[in-house]
Amino acid sequence: MPSNKYFKHEGPWSDANDPLMCSDTGDWRTKRPVVDKDKCIFCGFCAIYCPIQVVEMKGDTHFEADLSFCKGCGICAKECPKQAITMIPEGEFQK
Amino acid sequence: MNIKTEKRSQMKVITGNAAAAIGAKLARPDVVAAYPITPQTEVIEQISTFHASGEMDCELITVEGENSAMNAVMAASLAGGRVFTASSSWGLVFMYDAVLATAGARAPVVMVNVNRETPGIIAVSSGQQDMISTRDSGWIFLVAESCQEVLDMVIQAYRLAEDYDIQIPVMVHYDGFYLSYLSEGVDVPFQEDVDKFLSVLKDQPGRTTLKPGQKLGVGSHGILGGYLELRHKHVMAFERSKDKFDAIDKEYNDIFGRSYGGQVEEYRMEDADVVLVGSGSMCGTIKSVIDEQREKGIKAGLLKIRMYRPFPSEALVASLADKKAIGVVDRSLAFGFKGGPIYTELKAFETQLKGSKLISFIDGIANSDITTDNVVKMIQTTLDLASGKDVPEVTWVCYPEANKPQSNEVGGQ
Amino acid sequence: MEKKVKPKKVKPTKVLDYLKHEDPFSKGVAFCPGCSLELLLRFIPQVLGNDIVITGTPSCSAPVLLGQNNQSWHSLSYFGTLMTGAAANATGLARYYKKAGIDNTVVCFNGDGTAADIGFGNLSGAAERNEPFIYICYDNEGYMNTGIQKSGTTPYGAATTTTPPGLVSKGKNLRRMNLGLKMAMHKIPYAATATMSNLEDLAKKLLKAKEAKERGFAFLHVFAPCPTGWGSATENTIEICRRAVNTNYFPLWEAENGRVRMTKTVKKPKPIAHYTELMKKFAHLTPEDLEILQDDLDYEVCMLGGLSVLEAECQLPLSADE
Repeated sequence: MPSNKYFKHEGPWSDANDPLMCSDTGDWRTKRPVVDKDKCIFCGFCAIYCPIQVVEMKGDTHFEADLSFCKGCGICAKECPKQAITMIPEGEFQK
Repeated sequence: MNIKTEKRSQMKVITGNAAAAIGAKLARPDVVAAYPITPQTEVIEQISTFHASGEMDCELITVEGENSAMNAVMAASLAGGRVFTASSSWGLVFMYDAVLATAGARAPVVMVNVNRETPGIIAVSSGQQDMISTRDSGWIFLVAESCQEVLDMVIQAYRLAEDYDIQIPVMVHYDGFYLSYLSEGVDVPFQEDVDKFLSVLKDQPGRTTLKPGQKLGVGSHGILGGYLELRHKHVMAFERSKDKFDAIDKEYNDIFGRSYGGQVEEYRMEDADVVLVGSGSMCGTIKSVIDEQREKGIKAGLLKIRMYRPFPSEALVASLADKKAIGVVDRSLAFGFKGGPIYTELKAFETQLKGSKLISFIDGIANSDITTDNVVKMIQTTLDLASGKDVPEVTWVCYPEANKPQSNEVGGQ
Repeated sequence: MEKKVKPKKVKPTKVLDYLKHEDPFSKGVAFCPGCSLELLLRFIPQVLGNDIVITGTPSCSAPVLLGQNNQSWHSLSYFGTLMTGAAANATGLARYYKKAGIDNTVVCFNGDGTAADIGFGNLSGAAERNEPFIYICYDNEGYMNTGIQKSGTTPYGAATTTTPPGLVSKGKNLRRMNLGLKMAMHKIPYAATATMSNLEDLAKKLLKAKEAKERGFAFLHVFAPCPTGWGSATENTIEICRRAVNTNYFPLWEAENGRVRMTKTVKKPKPIAHYTELMKKFAHLTPEDLEILQDDLDYEVCMLGGLSVLEAECQLPLSADE
């Protein structure tokens, strides 16, 4: 009797009604983005250009990245028109 | 579900290709992909005419290549549609990656393949080499003997492929040039009867289909145990399709009054001393020669293979065990083996045949006719085998040169 | 001591208004840091909606678009298929949904390897038949998933593993093919180019493609740099797109029914070196080699310019009655 251990169906169907898979990509990065809230003009470029879309509005004051999945690519820092974001090596945060 | 209706008749004289097209039309497919290749072209021309006249309410996609034909119908099938396409030889192998993907995805696609010589040498002639080249695709392969059987098989193919217990694509093969262009009397079923025959499927649980917004996706990677689980499911479904096909033959007989026997058809086998095993249009010739030989007192019989994949080993063994001598007629070659492909496959079960002897006949390649004389020779050779004489294991009936002693150098003798 | 003046807050970029729907992708997926494809894949359903049916082929998108056994990385309906017949698969889906009266947006999502090379035949066939779906080609100029090999859209002089520079080679010695224009010449309802630096332009084009799909085939050619394959810094991905537009390396245009219109005219294009300096794949080229690349770009821009004024200023004689 064939089992349904891996697939619920006869063919290669996957079901997103079950929890999605998720890798710990936050573990990849060697640098993290740090926002200078005073310099931030709230334009949102960092949010639209982040490939993972992890940069969120914090109230109406500034944007900040949710670091759980940030891969540290540095695009947000590069695209910020006011250089309000700096990429700091992870080592600085692991004392 | 036994539905007794009056056996209604609508006799028409049509070609094998027209029979295939009409069979498809009667099944009411949603999506049909059309690309021409000799000797199949008339199938899609007929369907195009039905479509243009409004007789056939389907999406007709005139694709730019056979590869696209199979890809289009595979996707439409996985989205939930009933589909149809047709091809032959080079077209079949051009769509082969999609053929494999269709089987892997367990999409219930139905297509006809009009047998023609492939691979290797450019030829526009009859032979079963294209069926042999693609036999490990994971599809169910059915082979038709006559124009009537082509039409009946196409309708039965939908019943089989879309059955909830099966969900395997089905390919109906018939000989190009001999059946494709031959006109025979065919009893064309009425639309209402075909609708009734296929309506059984509506009562079954629905198969998984791809629709917007349902968060289901098909074509997922199979990884380790998952891959093996799917393969095993496919193998089990393959096994189930044998009995299912026999049952469908009975269901068909109940409505349309025609039975062929299911996986195999036995012709005058009960007391046969010698048996020929064959498939396709050659069986018509073999049957008439057997009748003649019987008049002369020679007890010959025919075992016709209708379901080639899955290989109907149980049915073959049940029928052939205790027969003294069996000649397997192949309309193709098995590269790497001396004998023909169906002979080689049957030989794997030789020990279950309780002493029957097997020999191979290769005939009918590249439009060489399998004549009544050829069949007489085959029966005679098999008789010789039965009486203990020394006969060659493999006889190329259509090319006697091959039967002479050969030197092993390039260029032959 | 200088008094620090806090800059005034501005209104957030209009692009955010186009992102009307949720991102259906899991946050932790296997794309390289700085991958423009990741941005594109998350962008599309946020603009077009989560009820699109997306087809994916072996490519850099496959490890994320396609599931693993029963599990998925995203909640879109998808069809994982082979490169050879991607457009034909999408055709089958779109045509069946049409027959069954099911409202749908089928997005056939492929890399340049599928669109320009192995799958071009059925792409062209689907366009010729005006099939009702959206075909999006993300162009990272090579077969990246298999480790950076040359494809039909790889530009002249680029280093890849199958066109490596060496004693007798300067990288790819052939020009790239212009996939976008080829598709526009099919006279389909909508064809356009877009890139990841001009996201409002991309969003508008996605919406136009969705509307055009009601009338037939829509094609988007999206320039999507690959930091891993091109040897560029991960933070420069968007800047590379911007420079591609500003040097006319990747002009932004759209074509409705074959009539080309520039959506961004670059008044003073910078020389190609301004673009190539950001990536290692051109590092082996001399200024003379860059001239060849520049000439080819100028040719394409001229052709594009000519096409975009075609209706207004056609120089060729028209019908004999005139």
